[in-house]
Amino acid sequence: MPAKPAHGRVHLGARSLAWLEGFGGLVGLALLLEMAPRAGLVSPHYLPPFSAMIVALFEEMKSAVFWIALGATMRAWAIGFIISVATGTVIGILIGSSNILRMLTRSTIEFLRPIPSVALIPLAVLLFGSQIESTLILVVYASFWQVLIQVLYGVQDVDPVARETALSYGLGPWAQIRYVTWPTTLPYLMTGVRLAAAVSLILAVTSEVAIGSQGLGKEISDTQAGGAVAIMYAYVIVAGIIGVILNLLARALERWVLAWHPSMRLHIVEAGE
Amino acid sequence: MSFITRINMSILAAVISATLLGTMIDSVRAADKISVAVIPIADCAPIYLGKAKSFFLNHGLDVDLSTAGGGAMIIPGVLSGQVQMGFSNVTSLLIAQDKGLRFIGLAPGAASSGVRGQDFSAIIAPDDSPISSAKDFENKTIAVNTLNNIGDISIRAGVRAAGGDPAKVKFIEVPFPDVPPAISDHRLEAAWVVEPFLTIALSRGAKVVNWNLIEVAPKMMIAVYFTSEKYAKENPDIVKRFKAALIESLVYADAHPDEIRAIIPTFTRISPEIAAKITLPKWPAELNRQSTQVIADLALKDGMINKKANISALLP
Amino acid sequence: MSDTGPIRPIRSLTIMLTLPAALVTTWWFISAGSQNFYFPPLQTILQTFLKVWLSPEALQNVIPSINRFFVGYLAAALLGLTVGIPIGASRHVRNLLEPMLEFFRAIPPPVLIPMLILFTGVGDEMKTLVIVFGCIWPVLLNTVAGVRALDEVLAEVVLSYRLSGFARLWYFVLPGASPQIFTGLRQSLSIGIILMVVSEMFAASNGIGFALVQYQRTFAIPEMWAGVIFLGIIGIMLSLIFRAFEAWILGWYHGLRRSQREN
Repeated sequence: MPAKPAHGRVHLGARSLAWLEGFGGLVGLALLLEMAPRAGLVSPHYLPPFSAMIVALFEEMKSAVFWIALGATMRAWAIGFIISVATGTVIGILIGSSNILRMLTRSTIEFLRPIPSVALIPLAVLLFGSQIESTLILVVYASFWQVLIQVLYGVQDVDPVARETALSYGLGPWAQIRYVTWPTTLPYLMTGVRLAAAVSLILAVTSEVAIGSQGLGKEISDTQAGGAVAIMYAYVIVAGIIGVILNLLARALERWVLAWHPSMRLHIVEAGE
Repeated sequence: MSFITRINMSILAAVISATLLGTMIDSVRAADKISVAVIPIADCAPIYLGKAKSFFLNHGLDVDLSTAGGGAMIIPGVLSGQVQMGFSNVTSLLIAQDKGLRFIGLAPGAASSGVRGQDFSAIIAPDDSPISSAKDFENKTIAVNTLNNIGDISIRAGVRAAGGDPAKVKFIEVPFPDVPPAISDHRLEAAWVVEPFLTIALSRGAKVVNWNLIEVAPKMMIAVYFTSEKYAKENPDIVKRFKAALIESLVYADAHPDEIRAIIPTFTRISPEIAAKITLPKWPAELNRQSTQVIADLALKDGMINKKANISALLP
Repeated sequence: MSDTGPIRPIRSLTIMLTLPAALVTTWWFISAGSQNFYFPPLQTILQTFLKVWLSPEALQNVIPSINRFFVGYLAAALLGLTVGIPIGASRHVRNLLEPMLEFFRAIPPPVLIPMLILFTGVGDEMKTLVIVFGCIWPVLLNTVAGVRALDEVLAEVVLSYRLSGFARLWYFVLPGASPQIFTGLRQSLSIGIILMVVSEMFAASNGIGFALVQYQRTFAIPEMWAGVIFLGIIGIMLSLIFRAFEAWILGWYHGLRRSQREN
């Protein structure tokens, strides 16, 4: 909260100062990107001035190509994200709730998990060419594990006392999940959702660059091939902005869902970025 | 029946008949929807021009064009039925056929002019390079856009024709768009390029050292429009109409280069200024079986395919 | 668990292998007589695997890939640490740079490949740089978070003992931030593998990703499947190596957490 100015000097609260500094940082970056090519520090062929990128962006936004590409990326992201979150949650709760299942599947999960999803690119191309299904194979495969692992942690974290109390009250499996497992798992699930959102976007764009399916990645690849460098950077900026927006949305969702769970805040910090 | 009921029934009958008649007429006039996968390069301009000029609609075909990175991506798409027809280089089709996949070529995609100095494809080197002919390729590394394809086949053919040993030539894979800056920065010794990158590279300090397609066969056909054997068997009429409209487009394209140059920027990221300067490929109306046989023989010799190709099955 | 002696490890091993064995066996039998072009019999795949991917020729592809990966990953880790620690330590620098860093980190790394081709062409440098640019963000941001969250009481104790400079770094900052740093290093590992493969899928002349794409383009399906399995094995091995390293460095931390949980 800004304090009352004393002797004509303005005092800013810590938070406002942080915002101002952040904004200043961005402005500095923009200036650097503007000046460096103009001053000849980098060739304008490779890095056009920042203003050229912005102009290209606005020009591009006027054409249908931009919106189609953006729509395609978001569509692939959304479908892949939803599928991976749904399957990851369901399978995670199922496996996590049973000791036997957990022990049986552990080695398989640890084996499949590190396989890079991009290893599936050749197979996806053979099966689906550059249609959206190729992208979805990669997105779902990569994001599913993020959600699954987090949900498994969550189910394991259930307080044994709570679980036994539920049993002694005669709660059936569905009620147990609803009243005991779910609330404990939720914070972990939210972390998984946040990670899945980021991974889904990365894989969606990766598949577009590598396979050439429709979307932002394909436009970036095509513009580089066609020599339209400023437009390429415009698309790169868009990709970054989308990523930032998705991250902010995921965090906002996390805060909203977990508003009643203040004791879990410590966990969220520990789980990492 | 009362008078009102009779009027109502007549009106109902009239409406139903009109609707039925309308749907019948509509279904007779409705075009068949097909999707065709092509590559965003100048070679594919004729089909875009043909679509714009309604050649396909005149044959009752509503063509949806989509782009992909290359023949290797398009072939699986046609096989799986995701698109009905595709554009691909001949070599990839020969390799696919060698592995047991079955296709039918419908019409030429693009072909070499057969005239040195006026072709859309060439091997280039930096302006000041000591390389001046195919004989100099020995012990050098040459960039091609895709390995195990017409690039290495044609370069090896050129080296043989110049009396050299093709086994001494090394290849690396560099996409066409990345060749001009690499050549002018001397990061590559020599490279295969096609338009528009040929024009771009020549304007930035490169020289042509070999017209590679001409080394392979006269007026070499580099690509075709194709469909799967299965689709052709199940839809002979559509395939026949598509072929007719396609040939019409190719003939028109070959005769109207200005319209082609105007349409290239609309489906590629090639600017109008560059499109005006590039050498256009030739678009013949007839499939070139002889040049395809030559390519197949060279592919067999170079180990890209394992058995003799069946040209008559591929290009009926 | 009341088993004692040799029975318990055998039991755990059996449990560990049951599901994978069942899956592999099912795959084997379902695909045994397969005529499907894209899904050859598992037997064919495994035979091709031995012939192609475990041969000396395979090393021509594997060694350059692993090389580029390690160089890129280690460079990213070093850069991320060196840059991250000062940023994490200063509130003002953090505020200044954070929005920018969040933006750069949100750019999907493969998008940088076309960009880097512009600057460095299509050689080894491009591939290694892609790995560096992709891997640096998790390390950097987690280092910043780790340094920032250092226990303030401990910081004051360190100050009162007049510990500064290198000693402070080595005995206070690094150990304190290391759990968080390792989280970042772990994420960078998977990103690095992905980028290693993707950067070789176009404009390359050797590498695991390169081989995979060549097999795909020439419809060499069993070789391609064998490559997918190979890549999986590489991923697992790197993951295990990382875990061993982490357990060694963070042994003290894991022990501490465990005792906290048990009490």
